[in-house]
Amino acid sequence: MNETRDNQSPGALDDQGELDPREAARLVEQTSRQARRAFDPSSPLASVVGAGVFLIGYGAVWWSIRDQATYAGPAGWSVAVLYGVIAVGAIVAGTMGRRATSGVRGRARRQMQGQAVAVWAAGIGAWVVEGALRYLDVPNKIVYGVYGPTVPLIALAGAAAGIAAMRERWPELTLCVTIIAVASVSTFFGPPGAWGLTGLGCAMALLVYAVVVSHQRRAIAQR
Amino acid sequence: MTPSTAEPLDPLIHAPARLRILVTLAALNDGDALSFTRLQKILDLTAGNLITHLRKLEDAGYTSTEKTGNGTASLTSVSLTHRGRAALDAYTSALRDLLAGL
Repeated sequence: MNETRDNQSPGALDDQGELDPREAARLVEQTSRQARRAFDPSSPLASVVGAGVFLIGYGAVWWSIRDQATYAGPAGWSVAVLYGVIAVGAIVAGTMGRRATSGVRGRARRQMQGQAVAVWAAGIGAWVVEGALRYLDVPNKIVYGVYGPTVPLIALAGAAAGIAAMRERWPELTLCVTIIAVASVSTFFGPPGAWGLTGLGCAMALLVYAVVVSHQRRAIAQR
Repeated sequence: MTPSTAEPLDPLIHAPARLRILVTLAALNDGDALSFTRLQKILDLTAGNLITHLRKLEDAGYTSTEKTGNGTASLTSVSLTHRGRAALDAYTSALRDLLAGL
């Protein structure tokens, strides 16, 4: 049925066309999947981009500090790489979020904005504490070497985990809990461990999440 | 389709374009609305075709249309009513029963 070409009187073709129950069921499933995907801000592609952010950004800092017997801080180039990839990740996430909520009015949009505020408040709070620690003369090794790569991430993942649990999105919840676990455990290994293990572990977790979500979507499509 | 198999299915919904409109709007949270242009883009329908089907659905109380703003800045949003969601649920339930009997 060609419902998009309305040279005839609009809707006439649609009313007259036969729709088999099996065809109707397929149409319901197909349209539902298409709509869910259109309104879903998270995607396997975003997860792969996130994995790249961890692997390249955290990897660059780890590379620059890996051989330091006494912690001297990361090289300038590695910090530039880190913030560069974070900026790219933020732009990708923002674009996908805006695309998903484009044209949507009402509770969903307000909920998404509220959730973004909750997640960012958790992250900003953790960054402010990092500043306070530096102000209180806590050594750079702890502030920038251990706290910096892990605690703000744990705060962000914690807030995101709460939202995922509320929305009963179990793969997302598992991802957030894994990130919290990896970041927490990596602090025991000092600055190289905090940057290296967190970067590698989170990248792996995001790639696994991307595979799981892709697999789920394919499974629904093949039903 | 034979008349006997079509009987339990709501004839207003049992048309591809209207079925797709309702299913798309049902993917939104309860009470949310979608702009006419986004709905048109998702469904790949012409404006005239979409308006015709929306008018039929609105006449049945399945969807509601709200227009905000004036002139070129005006925005038309479409949402699924409680009645529309219930009708779609009844339709998909009837469809499942029908397919189970085949």
